Amino acid sequence: MLTGNNLSKSYSSGKALNDVSIHISPGQICGLLGRNGAGKTTLFKILCGLVKPDHGQVIINSRRSKPVGGIIERPGLYNFLNAYDNIKIFAGIQGAPADKLSIEQTLLKVGLPLDRKDPVSNFSLGMKQRLGIAIALINDPECLVLDEPFSGLDPIGVASLITLIRKLAEEENIAILLSSHMMGEISKCCHFLYVIEKGEIVNSGPTNALINAHITSFSITASNLAASLTLKNYEVEMGTNDARVSCEAREIPSLLTELLSEGIQVTACTPVLTLEQLIKKAI
Amino acid sequence: MRLLLSAELLKLVKQSKTYYALGSIMVIETLILITAYFQGSTILDLLLDNLKQSFYFEGTLLNGNLIMYIVLNSLWFNVPLILMIVTSGIVTDEYKDGTMQTVMLQAVKKWKFITAKYIIAVLFTILVIGFMMLTTFILAYSIFGGGDLVVYLNTLNFFEADDAFHRICWAFASGAVSMVFYCVVSLTLAIFIKEAAKTWIAAALFLIITTLLLKVDFVIPVINSFFFPKLIDTWQQLFYYELDWTQILMNNALLILYTIAFAAAGTYVFHKKDIG
Repeated sequence: MLTGNNLSKSYSSGKALNDVSIHISPGQICGLLGRNGAGKTTLFKILCGLVKPDHGQVIINSRRSKPVGGIIERPGLYNFLNAYDNIKIFAGIQGAPADKLSIEQTLLKVGLPLDRKDPVSNFSLGMKQRLGIAIALINDPECLVLDEPFSGLDPIGVASLITLIRKLAEEENIAILLSSHMMGEISKCCHFLYVIEKGEIVNSGPTNALINAHITSFSITASNLAASLTLKNYEVEMGTNDARVSCEAREIPSLLTELLSEGIQVTACTPVLTLEQLIKKAI
Repeated sequence: MRLLLSAELLKLVKQSKTYYALGSIMVIETLILITAYFQGSTILDLLLDNLKQSFYFEGTLLNGNLIMYIVLNSLWFNVPLILMIVTSGIVTDEYKDGTMQTVMLQAVKKWKFITAKYIIAVLFTILVIGFMMLTTFILAYSIFGGGDLVVYLNTLNFFEADDAFHRICWAFASGAVSMVFYCVVSLTLAIFIKEAAKTWIAAALFLIITTLLLKVDFVIPVINSFFFPKLIDTWQQLFYYELDWTQILMNNALLILYTIAFAAAGTYVFHKKDIG
């Protein structure tokens, strides 16, 4: 369990955090949404103990030697060493098992190949993220903090990382906090969301509830949408292959039924929710 | 601490800059040897022509001991500058690559981590000076052989071959203490500054100012005797005709105390500072 109570932090450039409180339970994946410069990284650094807050406190109920593991901003790796030696160094310095078997198990846990002997500088960003997570998981922390883990990854890399994060929460009961400014990615894997703006938490709640409460439009993909009579009753923005329909979430079942009765085969219907909507509505 | 030291050692061994440092020392030595081989005799003959008419010198004056003494003089600026750049990288590279954060996110105590870095920097410095002494000895003696040493320190001092060799060896040892001081200072600067290029500038400035202050008369005897810029050339005292071992040992002991003080200040600041 990881809790931050009434955290505040100021720099010479201004206030980075103002009275922020956050809580993550074991096995829960929490998302922290915010624009660049909203205070996500400062909050993460405070939660990990890298930066001392001006006010407030961080509570971690743990007896382990390493309660929190994480990646802040980017995975910090020794680029001149290979993945094996990186794990060996980071495990070695904290007295964690650094034998061949343990290192290989750690690499396999995050889906990294054992046959890569070249320096980490040759790795793709996705592989570096995985190695960063492997290092964060050394010594079995109870909480994992991942700052912008999806940035720079391609869609396959994002999907694969989401699977790994889910697996870690479900199978190892790790409390995970991850940040992003990408609404789509974070809503796919988080149980609970916090929205941060200008150093303050402006919105929070279970992911589904938060999305349902703020959703105002849906993207509907189907052929021949332009000919639909049903859509004329809604505010619609036509795209090349889809239509963005402004409506409440509760209206969606009837809308889909009506489109089907018109003979329009809907292939996808996804909520369109932007970070700006979450921030604006809250403010 | 043992685990941290072995990790730091592994990093040092695997980094190419370690070998660049050793390579640059070899380049300096080679240049001195080539210059001495082709021009040394002419210069020495010109300088000592009159003296040779009055005194007998055993062997040629352009010998291994003189070459070792010339290489030793690179401890004034070239070698400390190289060492300060390399050892400050032990800390600045960690900041640049983000590994400082990664390490601090592990179950590692801050003071232990930075102390391990200081210890490795000291060991690396001693290794480099040892390497420099050994390679110079092998190259200079195999090319030029042994012989008496002539040194100009206020006046011309002459030492017999065996005496000269012993003095050179002790001078390297004393010089190593000065180099360790510079390296510890550069590591402390790196902790304060964090950025590599700025740290290099600060380290070079420190080196220049220290060398300038060495020549300044502070009037107050205590400062003239105990201020650290006045101690960094102790290795030169091994080439005065009359050796004052008490002074040499005291100066080195004081410089070691200054070194410990700089390391303690760096460790304290690192422990108190936020990471990132």
